[in-house]
Parts: sequence; structure tokens; C-alpha cells
Amino acid sequence: MARLELSNLHAEVAEGDEQILEGVDLEVQSGEIHALMGPNGSGKSTTAKVIAGHPAYEVTEGEVLLHLEDDEFGEDIEIDEDQRTWNLLDLEPNERAALGIFLGFQYPAEIEGVTMTNFLRTALNAKIEEREELFEDEEDEAEEEDDGFESSPMEGPADEGEVGVAEFQGILQEKMEQLDMDEKFAQRYLNAGFSGGEKKQNEVLQAAILEPSVAVLDEIDSGLDIDRLQDVSSGINALRDEQGTGILQITHYQRILDYVEPDHVHVMLDGQIAKSGGPELAEKLEDKGYDWVREDVYGTA
Amino acid sequence: MSAGTQVHANLTEEQVREISDGLDEPDWLLETRLEALAALEDLEMPDVIRTPGRDWTNLHELDFESLVDPLNAAENKDQVGPEDAEVLPWSEAVADHEDLLQEHFGSIVDPQENYLTALSTALFSTGTVIYVPEGVDAEDVTVRTEQNSRSLFNYTLVITEESSSVTILERQSTGEEAAEQYYSGVVEVAAGENSYVQYGSLQNLSEDAYNFTVKRGVADTYATIDWIEGNLGTQLTKTEVSTTLSGDSSETQIVGAFYGHNDQHFDLDAKVWHRAEHTTADLVTRGITDDVARSVYEGVQDVGADAWDTSSYQRENTLMLSDESEADASPKLIINNHDTEASHSATVGQIDAEDLFYMTSRGVDPRSARNMLVEGFFVPVLEEIDVDELRDDLEELIGTRLRERE
Repeated sequence: MARLELSNLHAEVAEGDEQILEGVDLEVQSGEIHALMGPNGSGKSTTAKVIAGHPAYEVTEGEVLLHLEDDEFGEDIEIDEDQRTWNLLDLEPNERAALGIFLGFQYPAEIEGVTMTNFLRTALNAKIEEREELFEDEEDEAEEEDDGFESSPMEGPADEGEVGVAEFQGILQEKMEQLDMDEKFAQRYLNAGFSGGEKKQNEVLQAAILEPSVAVLDEIDSGLDIDRLQDVSSGINALRDEQGTGILQITHYQRILDYVEPDHVHVMLDGQIAKSGGPELAEKLEDKGYDWVREDVYGTA
Repeated sequence: MSAGTQVHANLTEEQVREISDGLDEPDWLLETRLEALAALEDLEMPDVIRTPGRDWTNLHELDFESLVDPLNAAENKDQVGPEDAEVLPWSEAVADHEDLLQEHFGSIVDPQENYLTALSTALFSTGTVIYVPEGVDAEDVTVRTEQNSRSLFNYTLVITEESSSVTILERQSTGEEAAEQYYSGVVEVAAGENSYVQYGSLQNLSEDAYNFTVKRGVADTYATIDWIEGNLGTQLTKTEVSTTLSGDSSETQIVGAFYGHNDQHFDLDAKVWHRAEHTTADLVTRGITDDVARSVYEGVQDVGADAWDTSSYQRENTLMLSDESEADASPKLIINNHDTEASHSATVGQIDAEDLFYMTSRGVDPRSARNMLVEGFFVPVLEEIDVDELRDDLEELIGTRLRERE
């Protein structure tokens, strides 16, 4: 189990002093689906990027904590008491990914010359390696204190535990079949020349392979036709159902929530969570827009 | 002051005669050399891009008096090719194919075009002639030159007869390290009717070396000349690759890749001259500048008045890995015939921060992500290379240089 906790999160654009997040409080637990809704400019995407560590934003106040339980990484890694809670704001984006944070992008980058297969295998191995380092570093330090070792005598070769090409092909093929993706995508360059829908499907594929604890999916439903929306939605549901991933689904529209049923719905206004509720809140938003929330919370439309 | 005066202090007719005698050259060739030597005094350096108050590449500061040591040239050379094509060291070509030499030598690159071509013509002591007879498909011609002396002047002539084809890999490297070296190479390609030439070159000389190279081809009717130009070595490289499309329906592709780091300076020209109907050109160059390295690129697509139905494309992209490196590009399109489809573009930029974030957010560490992005950046260029050895080596050299980077 893992729990992502945003507490009084304030953030501004790094180059400039435009404050965007004004104290966000939010908790997402493994196996839960949260929908984060709100009008344009309310801070939804900024929240997602700050969680993942985008360098364009500076956190001025608050915390982003990830709490891990023993079963989080399977039997390979036992989590010490003092390593169960990580302040993500102290970590680089790749370290956050290694701990199980995944950001599904609204506009995924198109990376020329890097095949999907190569990138995903590299990412998977990097995640495994980084995770070991994050947890072993602490052990090393402890050993250093105890035994005076400068580095861990137990450190194995760099490629130990890596997922090989053949093994990875198997994983990729299986996940692509589950998502009803054409095999040819595997050898194409990452998102290059992909349609909007293919890019979003690819984001879900990556999440399926990297098996995050918490996936923040930023408007993964935009630009999808109804068939693709269903494919992407079933992929998201599978993340939750089969891997126990906690989902923070950022969206403008109710329609994806017809397929990915949220446990909790949050409305963001002016950089804060203005209202939270169950799935019925999303339906109400679809019917009545956001003004009533503003009126309800601030007493003004 | 003309550029030639400084070199004359240590260059003499006797030296030129000695080089020519050593290769057993006929009189007409010796005369061509001597005329080039005599012309040095009046010739200018090759054109470089110039803006008010500044030459983008300063060739005048090269100290030729100390760099040029004509009688002590030393090299290791491999000149190999399939049996049905002739791949001849210069002295053998002089003995066996004087008629071919007389017809083509200096016909494409004017020996007296500028100071450096004249210097090369007067002093070249090594060379290769690649002759592909009619109808022969010659693959895997390799010319490897390892420079073991202070200066080395190299000349290459490629002649393809009708409906023949050849794939050539040329490599230049430095053997015994000398503090500063000068390498000069002239390549002429005469592509006969309906013939195909791919000329791949990988320059990986010492980073203390200076390099001047001109590679130029003329394509006859239905002929294709494709150039691959890889530049990694030297502290200063001035190179031009160009094709004249003189026959109807002739084609050319000029693909360039360079990677400059430390204080390397690359001045690269890619040029095509459309001089016949239905001709096609595609010029693609991609490069990296890092540390305080600098690249200067000039690309020219010149469509002549009689070049009806021309297609001509040019792209140059430079990626800067450091804030201190510099990259300048000057793509030019000169169109004198309205029946032309053409485009040209050049971009200079740094690694896209969003691309980097995308990759790191998936768990890839920033250094590996950057290396993947850079290697990926070169892929469109690498994909154009027919010769496996050239593609693999270029890829490996780029990868090694990236991984050496802190």
C-alpha cells in the first residue's frame, strides 16, 4: 500500500512570482480513483507537475509526502521504519518515479530516434536500479556509521537484476495486447507521429509497464474518440484493479468518469481544492458547471 | 598581404619536383603542381561566412610555415575494394591510367580555386583512384588514412562509368600523436550516366589537428551522388561537400553529422548546384556543440535558369549541450527557375526541457535521458548511411563522447 499526501501545497512558476497553487490538500491511496476537476487555469496540471517534480515550478510552502507500506515493492525490498515516508519535494523526478509516482502527460513529448521498446526497457531498468539505490543508500549510510565501510561491500554488478531484452519483449507484448495496441508501436519512435489518441494510449501502456503506486493522469481523456476512450479507460481500470495503483485522474469532463468510476471527486478553484465529494459531484458539475461551487464555497459566482 | 607569402618561406619548386618524381608523374601533372605553387602568392583563403568586422572562421591565423612539412609525409593507408573495381594507390594510377587522370584531375575542383586547394595540389603525396567500369556494382571500397606526420596532403579521384555503382568508406585518423598536424584532402567524384556513388567519410583526427577538405562531385544524367560526412576530430575543420547536378534527372543527398566539444571549431559547407532538368537534392546535417565548441554551417541550393522541375531540400539542426558553445547556420536558397520545389531551414537549440522532464519522470536519470535524446537526435542521419561500418562507428564514437561527458 502507498499513500500520496499533499499538504498545504503552495507553488509558483519558478521564473516569476506567479502563485498558482494556494494550499492544496489531497490524499490518494493505492487502489483508489480520485478525479480532480476544475476550470482552465485552476491549477490542476500544475498540481500534477509539482507532484512529479517539474523544474518550471517552485514549491513555496507545504509538503508532498509518499507513505509506503511493506508490501509496496513485493518481497524484494523490506521497507525500514524510517524509509516509509518520503518527502517527494526533496527528490529528483526520476527518484520520484522510482518510488512509484507516474505522471501521464496531457501533451506527451515526441522523442525522435528513441524507440518505444528501448525507452520503456531503459525506464523500467532505471526504475529498478534507482529504487535499489534509494533504499540501499540508507543502508550504506547505516553501515558506514556502524562498520566504517565507505561503500556497501554487498553492492552487486550494475546490471544485476536488469530486465533483459527478451524478457522485456514478453512484458511489452502482453501489456500491448491487453490495451489492444498494434505491435508496430513497439518499434516506432516514442510518440513521434502518434495521433492524440495513440499518445494517450501509450501513456497508459507506460504506466502498465512501470507499475506505479500512484498515477497522476493529466487530461488523459482529451482528444480521444469514443472507442479509444474505452480502451484507455479499461487500461486505467486495470492499473487499479490488477496492480492496485492509486489514480489521480485530472479531467474537464464527466465522460471518462462513466468508464473510470471515481471513489472521490475534487473540484479545484484558484489553486485550492474547493470541494470534495463522491461520483455524484462530477455529475452535478457536468450539469451545472463550476459557478455554483464558487458560490457555495466563496459566496460569490 | 596575400595569404601566400608566409608559406613561401619554406616551400620550394624543388620540393614539389621531388614529390612528383617520387610518384613517377608525367610532366603535365608536375606542371599543374608547379603552377599551383606559383599561384599561392596571389590566392586567397577559401570563402568563409563574413559579417561586418568578423570572419566566422579565421583561417588566416593558421601558421602554415610550421604546419607544412612536405617532404616528411608519413601515413598508414588501406585501400581496398572488390576485384571488379579498381582501387589504386596514386603511383599505380599514374602508371596504369594516365589518360583517366588527365581527363579528370582538377576538372571538378579547380587546383587554383583558393590558397588551400592550390597548396594541396602542389604538395599532395598520397592519393587513391577508384575506377568503376561500366555496369559494375562495387561495394565496400574502403580508404583508411592514418596520419603519422606533421602534414599530409591527400587526393582522391572517383570515376564511375555508365550504370555502375560504388559504396566508398573513407576514414581519416591520427596515428602517432604530434602536437599540431595539418591534414588536407581533395576529393573529386565524376559520376557517369546512370551511376550511383555513395561516399561516406569519417574524420576522426587528433583534436590538435587542423583539417581542410573539399569533396565535390559532378553527376551526369540519371546519376546519383550521395555523401555522408561525419566530423568528430580536429581543433579546426574547414570542409565543403558539394554536388553539381549537371545531367537531367540526376540526384544528390548530402548527409552530415558532427559533434564538437572542448574548443573544437567546425566550418561546414553543403552545396548543390542544379544545372539540369528534373534534378533532386536533399541536404541534411545534424550536429552537436558542447563545452566552448563552435560550428559554422553554410548550405547552398543553387537552382540555375535551365534547371526545370527541380526539387531541393535542406535542413540543418544543431543541438547545443552547453551554454558556452556556439552554433551559426546560414542556409541559402538561390532560385533562377520558377519550376522549382524547394525548402530550407536551420535550427539551433538546446535539449528540450520538456523532453528531458518527460523521460526523467519515467525514471530515467537525467544523464541517461540526455544521452538518449542526443543519440536519438542523430538517428535520422544515421538511418541514411548504407555502409554498416560507417554507421556503427559513427554511432559508437558519438556514444563514447557522450558517456565521457561529466
